[in-house]
Amino acid sequence: MSNESGMNRKEAIKRTGLLLGGVIFAPNILGVLKGCSPTPGGWDPELFSAEQARVVTALSDVILPADDTPSASEVGVPQFIETMVKDHYSEEQRNQFLDGLDRFADEYRTEIQGEYFDGTDDEKYDFTYHQNRIAIEESPGESPFILTFKELTMLGYFTSEVGATQVLRYEANPGMYDGCMPLEEVGRTWAT
Amino acid sequence: MNLNIKAREENTYDAIVVGTGISGGWSAKELTENGLETLVLERGRDVKHIDDYPTATLDPWELPPNDQVPYEERKHYEKQLRTGYTIRESTKHWWIRDTDQPYEERKRFDWIRGYHVGGRSIMWGRHSYRLSPMDFEANAREGIAVDWPIRYEDLEPWYSHVEKFAGICGEALGLPQLPDSEFLPPMELNCVEEALRESMAETFDRVLTTGRVANLTRSHQGRGSCMYRNLCSRGCPYGAYFSSNASTLPAAERTGNMTLRPHSIVNSVMYDEETGKATGVRVVDAESGEMYEYYARIIFLNASTVNSTSILMNSTSDRFPDGMGNDSGELGHNMMDHHFRVGANGEMDGFEDRYYYGRRPNGFYIPRFRNINGNDRDYLRGFGYQGSASREGWHRGVRELAIGSELKNLVSTPGKWTLGMTAFGEMLPDHSNRMWLNHDETDKWGQPTVVFDVEFKENEYKMREDMKNDAAEMLEAAGMKNVSTYDDAGGPGLGIHEMGTARMGRDPQTSVLGEWNQIHTVPNVFITDGSCMTSAACQNPSLTYMALSARAANYAAEQIKKGDL
Repeated sequence: MSNESGMNRKEAIKRTGLLLGGVIFAPNILGVLKGCSPTPGGWDPELFSAEQARVVTALSDVILPADDTPSASEVGVPQFIETMVKDHYSEEQRNQFLDGLDRFADEYRTEIQGEYFDGTDDEKYDFTYHQNRIAIEESPGESPFILTFKELTMLGYFTSEVGATQVLRYEANPGMYDGCMPLEEVGRTWAT
Repeated sequence: MNLNIKAREENTYDAIVVGTGISGGWSAKELTENGLETLVLERGRDVKHIDDYPTATLDPWELPPNDQVPYEERKHYEKQLRTGYTIRESTKHWWIRDTDQPYEERKRFDWIRGYHVGGRSIMWGRHSYRLSPMDFEANAREGIAVDWPIRYEDLEPWYSHVEKFAGICGEALGLPQLPDSEFLPPMELNCVEEALRESMAETFDRVLTTGRVANLTRSHQGRGSCMYRNLCSRGCPYGAYFSSNASTLPAAERTGNMTLRPHSIVNSVMYDEETGKATGVRVVDAESGEMYEYYARIIFLNASTVNSTSILMNSTSDRFPDGMGNDSGELGHNMMDHHFRVGANGEMDGFEDRYYYGRRPNGFYIPRFRNINGNDRDYLRGFGYQGSASREGWHRGVRELAIGSELKNLVSTPGKWTLGMTAFGEMLPDHSNRMWLNHDETDKWGQPTVVFDVEFKENEYKMREDMKNDAAEMLEAAGMKNVSTYDDAGGPGLGIHEMGTARMGRDPQTSVLGEWNQIHTVPNVFITDGSCMTSAACQNPSLTYMALSARAANYAAEQIKKGDL
């Protein structure tokens, strides 16, 4: 890319900043659709049993744990998963998911002893890593429980503000298009 | 004093326009700018530009989970859901609920609709291509259906007229099969699209160009430039793409000559046997259920292909027992769409240190290259492609071994470059592809419902072989890996380009409309939506509806001034 277009890009970004001040936002936008911004804590499961909810929370945090960015449960992923399974799945898909969840917990009990959500970080990680590996290697083209769960976890996380803006990159209003920019100037994967 | 006469005076206009989508907006603009007092009827609710785009600025986390409509509610959108992309929480308010708007399918037909001011101009794909001289000549040359009563030269100035107002970005190429428009600066291709472009030029002498879309690449006609959010179908708060709401209806409003009446379902066009002209329209108020009559010297039907045809079919009289203007028996026949959802995907190595900035509401376009200089294939006509390249996002992590912090790290770097493209092919007009009205099954406003009997035929299926194989061949020649093809036509209608059920032609015995889009036998009724199309070409049709509407409206206004209408 030429220096000139680099200049244009910076100019364009500056201009966007100015324009944004003038954007007309519908004042009651948030009231129109019932926003579901999952917040940590205070989750009262409607579909999952208390035990299932603890497995869902622990498993989502093994898949996306807290490190220099927050964990799945800190951004409300367990609630997100419950909403998806409860409101967006057919009865058949829902039963399949719940069976898979219970079987996952059972297998852990058989192999490691005790409850998944009581396991140490290493125990949970090793068991989950193994389950993920088996699913990928042995079920190409299918979606066994662990991969469905992983996908839901990632979906909830990366459509949350934290996931989209801290782990990935999100610009509500890019203001310009550059079709071939050095990756390092963008930095991270676009959330959308 | 005769109250009826007074009521009739109050309900009388110079012109009536039925429908507010792409073509209706243009008819309204051109008629009002010619000084005609115009009543504009819309069957759905009003939608004010910006104010009535409730989801336009919502971030993903402000929407319900994954922007997804709950399972139970999806049952109301059984047919609208067939597109796979229309019914989201952020866009569902633009689409009708099938449970409110039933129709019958003798064969699968995907009738995808939005009933509100602006119609589908709010959610359209915005790709805007001129038809070419060869498109207007093809029927006559090949003996298919009937000849268009106009040629490219008749429409050329009107393409320019509408493009200058609407704002079409793109690249001039000088191709005979895809004439250039009046362009705003083009949107960029990305690196991998550029690589495919170079390979195609070198290996096949074929052209790939940036999509010609009705998005503004700089401010234009008082509307703002594109912000590259790619949320067009929610409605654009910048007015950065062409819609009736952002563009033509405000222009009509500014003249002071437009009266817009939402919630107005047109039941039929009234006909006067003595004058041989239409007198006005009967309207069912969608909220009260009451019937009103409105009168005018000219009537423009722009209700969309199926609905304009339905109105004519429901407008019966002693003179027209089979529907207004239907002496030919062709009304409701020759239904066309584009057939698509066939093409190829591939992965491109290299360019790992390159990425893009911004969400371009556009992709690339490959103009038709088959059957340009004579027919050398085993089918007639041709197809173009639309597609785009991008780098894989977080989703690629689902089937990776990584979990935990490794997974976060993995997906925070974009994955492979992938490129996909789908062909849009021309569908031939065929008398047996048709729609009609069922008067025994009425909707909740007591109006007859529509029955479809339409299918793709041999020419389309033969063409699809090339549509699929040519795509794969071009991707492989460009060095792409893991090239795969797909072919899933779906039902006619899925292209949302319904056309042809009140076609233009030279002969009243074989067509419904003449060279100025007037009904041959009812000269003060004009139809300039997709129903007028004599053939489909393979280009997206909306730009042609715009040009035909502007041309017909200016002709009608001239005829009124001369006292001929």
